[in-house]
Amino acid sequence: MDAIANGIYVAFQAFLGAGAYVMLPVIITILGLVFRLKIGQAFKCGMTITCGFVGINLLVNLLKSAVTPAASGMVTNFGLNLDVTDVGWGAISSITWASPIVAFLVFEILGINILMLVLKKTNTMDVDIWNYHHMMIAGILVFFVTNNFVLALIASGLMAVISLKLCDWTQPLVEHFFGIPDVSLPTVSYISSIIIAAPFNWLIDRIPGLRDINFSIKGVQKKIGFLGDPMILGFILGCALGALALMPVDQCFLTGVNVAAVMALMPKMTSMFVEGLMPISEAAQKFTSDKFGGRSLTIGLDAAVVVGNPDVITTALIMIPVTILLAFILPGNHMMPLADLAVVTFRVALVVALCGGNVFRSILISIPVMSAILYAGTAAAPYLTAYAQSTGLTFDGPIASMAGTSLTQTAIVFWSCISANPVVSIVILVAVFAVVWYVIEKKIGMEKIEAYAAKMDEM
Amino acid sequence: MAKRILVACGNGVATSTVVASKIRDYCAKKGLAVQTTQCRMIELHDKGDGYDLIVTSGKFSDPDIKTPCIMAISLLTGIGADKTLEQIYQAVKD
Repeated sequence: MDAIANGIYVAFQAFLGAGAYVMLPVIITILGLVFRLKIGQAFKCGMTITCGFVGINLLVNLLKSAVTPAASGMVTNFGLNLDVTDVGWGAISSITWASPIVAFLVFEILGINILMLVLKKTNTMDVDIWNYHHMMIAGILVFFVTNNFVLALIASGLMAVISLKLCDWTQPLVEHFFGIPDVSLPTVSYISSIIIAAPFNWLIDRIPGLRDINFSIKGVQKKIGFLGDPMILGFILGCALGALALMPVDQCFLTGVNVAAVMALMPKMTSMFVEGLMPISEAAQKFTSDKFGGRSLTIGLDAAVVVGNPDVITTALIMIPVTILLAFILPGNHMMPLADLAVVTFRVALVVALCGGNVFRSILISIPVMSAILYAGTAAAPYLTAYAQSTGLTFDGPIASMAGTSLTQTAIVFWSCISANPVVSIVILVAVFAVVWYVIEKKIGMEKIEAYAAKMDEM
Repeated sequence: MAKRILVACGNGVATSTVVASKIRDYCAKKGLAVQTTQCRMIELHDKGDGYDLIVTSGKFSDPDIKTPCIMAISLLTGIGADKTLEQIYQAVKD
């Protein structure tokens, strides 16, 4: 008996050790089968996702080898230590789906959502399985660091509860400012900004003079719209990095082309992930809507649906150079913003909505929001890098992104769960969140938030 | 020649993949060949011209873009999806 048990254990360990290329197709196929896909279809999902992963691996490697010489040149010449490369949210989501515990976390988050709907503690039905990766990365990194499955479940569970509540509370802004009714947006890369933005907005409202400034900036799209094209932005950034490293002109140009290639190709690889997950996501969507179809719920969608707002685009275009500047001047920051400059729109969208489209105030508040992302990215880079390499990504030097544990919400949960005394820090986190919950729903009341948002109709 | 549809969302990856694949499936069933390209809404200002139709996964407006534009959030929520697909099909069928 022992021999058999031992054999299974060894086989399981070998399977876990084989890395994402072997594990991804198997895990996704199983996930597909649980959601009642046919075996052929489920396997095809798994293979599509794995091929996307292989592509992302190649690109992360290319990006690291393209910018590492430039980054070390910047250290020698100017003492600028920006050795943590922003490889983009796509790479982070891909290593999230490659974790051995990912299937458990998918069902945990789905289960928490269903439980909260049954208990009437949330109105959001999050059918956006794809963006579960933002919540799961907390649990997955906690598992990687502590090897404690229970702590991992707590981390992603906390992420789910916090995301759903933040999403309920900000739903009036989606309805009135963005003009999309019956939809709420539990995408962490979008919703996390409210943790910093709400107190800052409250503060600005109490500063005479500053609170009255409201100007919109016209024509930004015409002047710096080219920064919105990741290929052009990547080329400029790559050349600039090369120049700062005092490289010869041809080397600068080469760095520019490599970074441009990564920024242009990364979305194509990541979209294979989405394609592969689509049948599973649709099955989950059907399952939940069959169960809760009768009730008036808001449907949780990807925040991608609101970032086309012109004020959001303007703020994001301005925040792209501002974020790069922040990376250079913030003491202690080691993260070089690159790939995720393409999705700054997500990080600022809720700030813009909260400010009612006041671009000046949105930029003012986006500065601490983006600074927090750079610092959290720097702090978690060693863990993220070690985890990424354990899934089979091969590159040299530390990596980060503006997603995952760089996001304020995820960072709070992650650091609480891996602290020296996790019981104490998790209890504190839960207590603080409970107080916020009480204050927002009982003291302030959703009616007041609704009224605040309603002023923004047709703005 | 296949009709060219530019599908835009926030990051040119997630929801635009879902929307594009639903449009391709629907048009294929109707026997119409369409070619979809994905991008982010922030790029539409520069890329919007030169397509037969723009479909966005969320609200978008830009007076400078001459190409007709359809908002297809219904393909994500599922509510009224068929109506939107038919509208897209009608817009590019000839």
